[in-house]
Amino acid sequence: MLTADHLSRTFGTRLAVDDVSFQVAPGETYGLLGPNGAGKTTTIRLVCGLLSADGGTVTVAGMPVSMVARKAKVHIGYVPQDVSLYPDLTARENLSFFGRLYRLRGATLRRRVDEVLDLIDLTDRGEDRVESYSGGMRRRLNIGASLLHRPRLLVLDEPTVGVDPQSRHAILESIRTLGSTGLSVVYTTHYMEEAERLCDRIGIIDQGRLIAEGTRRELVAQVGGRDRITLSADGSLPAFAQACRSLEGIERVDVADSTVHLLAVDGRSRLPQVLETATRTGTSVRSVEVDEPDLEAVFLHLTGTALRE
Amino acid sequence: MSAVVAIALKDLRQRLRDRSAIVLGFIAPIAVAALISVAFGSAGSFHADVAVVDLDRGPVATGFTSFVTGPDLADLLTVEPVTSEADARARVARGDLSAAFVIPKGYSEAVTAGSSRPITVLASVDSSIAEQVARSLAQSYTAQIDAVRLSVESAVRAGAPASSAGLLATQASTLRLPEQTITQPSGTRPLTGTSYYAPAMGIFFMFFAIGFGARSFFLERTAGTLDRLACAPIGPGTILAGKSLATFVYGVASLGTVAVVTSLAFDAQWGPTPVVLALILALALTMVALTALVITVARTERQADGFASMLTFGLVLLGGNFVFLGGAPPLVRNLALLTPNGWALRAFTDLAGGAAWTAAVTPLMAILAFALGTGGIAFALRGRVVNR
Repeated sequence: MLTADHLSRTFGTRLAVDDVSFQVAPGETYGLLGPNGAGKTTTIRLVCGLLSADGGTVTVAGMPVSMVARKAKVHIGYVPQDVSLYPDLTARENLSFFGRLYRLRGATLRRRVDEVLDLIDLTDRGEDRVESYSGGMRRRLNIGASLLHRPRLLVLDEPTVGVDPQSRHAILESIRTLGSTGLSVVYTTHYMEEAERLCDRIGIIDQGRLIAEGTRRELVAQVGGRDRITLSADGSLPAFAQACRSLEGIERVDVADSTVHLLAVDGRSRLPQVLETATRTGTSVRSVEVDEPDLEAVFLHLTGTALRE
Repeated sequence: MSAVVAIALKDLRQRLRDRSAIVLGFIAPIAVAALISVAFGSAGSFHADVAVVDLDRGPVATGFTSFVTGPDLADLLTVEPVTSEADARARVARGDLSAAFVIPKGYSEAVTAGSSRPITVLASVDSSIAEQVARSLAQSYTAQIDAVRLSVESAVRAGAPASSAGLLATQASTLRLPEQTITQPSGTRPLTGTSYYAPAMGIFFMFFAIGFGARSFFLERTAGTLDRLACAPIGPGTILAGKSLATFVYGVASLGTVAVVTSLAFDAQWGPTPVVLALILALALTMVALTALVITVARTERQADGFASMLTFGLVLLGGNFVFLGGAPPLVRNLALLTPNGWALRAFTDLAGGAAWTAAVTPLMAILAFALGTGGIAFALRGRVVNR
């Protein structure tokens, strides 16, 4: 659906985006994860044709994107970082206006506005001016305005910045729902949890460069991370531990009181074998926890700095 | 094209919901034009209350009173007799009278004897025009008397019997000095204050829309809605065209409303409708070009506000929107022709005076040339907007 190929963009002497390439498949949710100032927004603006690239190309649905490329832009729904609406217009007026820009007219436009208002749960407040809305409502409408024309690619630039936890949860759920409908999504964030929760694949960007890319698991694997499995159990724990050491992918086993700690490659996939071993050795497992290395660790490993610095 | 209209309608809807835009675009110009016209009366016609203090009571003095109270000066002067110079001086000082003529005792006798005894003109410091008019009238009457005296004396010296001097004087007094200047009016009606200040204030407040339009652009940018527009499949030219159309419609509606309301309610003379409409459209086009120029030059909303204010006040001060430039020095009147509003006011005053529609052709061309020049500069600088 989206191909960004060797994109670069300079502002003055500062290289904001440096040879960035990535692809997003139909129905895929792709995350661009990086700290503030990493180049996420500039990349997004290049993808949406809001900036001209110094080098590289972008295609959406097979059509090249530029500042004047109308055909490609029909397929893009852009959600800016800040709430970008007209506060002195009602929600319905805002949506109708943006719909008209995408050539929606008459009954089609009215029906689509109704659908979007329903989707973002603002049907009851559709005739109210946006200036009377809460922050969360504005955020929902901000996303809704990008969905009117049924884009094939939804591009969201940090849509949860400054949002309360409840609204944030609602926004993330709505994006997850949209992703499940076959919509391709590009989602930029500096929140690791959001990228982990939403995205099928993640590109880690820092100082304008895409330094790693893949599924969460692939990224963790790239840095050699191991999962920690912690079992609270009763029974013959030394025997259980000894049996676990012979399992494939289990690299280390420690026993402390009634707890067994295992260091495993791809811990979740090893779990059935571990539990079977517990049954076989007469160990009664009370609880299991799998701690996987997170993207924070990946980012730290790749850049030497914490993600939120 | 439909996206252009959508953007324009959205901008106009926002502007109509902004009370300050309504007040500045529609209510204020009408109110100010009405107030100014009431305060100043007519800008083109003159009328003064004057007094004649006849301390002489002789025939020549009576002739002067007849002269200033005659039908020729009835539109110019309201004359009342005052018995003493002190009374006249006090009333002029209070502003009850614009001027007073004091004819000294022995004036007729002195004139007959060929000696000098001048008429004194008392004038208020606040009525310089009245003073000039009064002084001119006194000088005119004195010149006429001198002419009679000279003609009689010339006739006697040429051999006419001295006994016929009285008859010659009577005949000579019926003659008038030839006109020294001829006024060729461009129209047929006097220019009233309302007819001048209605377009003057209408244009002034119309130019406020330059600030509105420029601010609207920068507000879209800071609010991020400009990015939304730019992300839509419409192209940057469509956005600018839509915003320009909104500014144009607002300008036409603003000045058009002022024209209609002041014509109907305050009897302002604007001229033939098609010509007035052409002038309004040309001015609105100029306003669009000036808005585009401000957008290209400014980098922030605050800068846009500042530039628009400077431009608006510079143009209206230079163009004569605040002060009638009819009596101003030639340099000032020529400077006014550097501005589109100066040209427009010249056209509107000519048309209000009853001039033919052709009087508006040159101003119309000048306004369009200004719009073209300004728009051309803005177009040349458009890269500054795109590359920010």
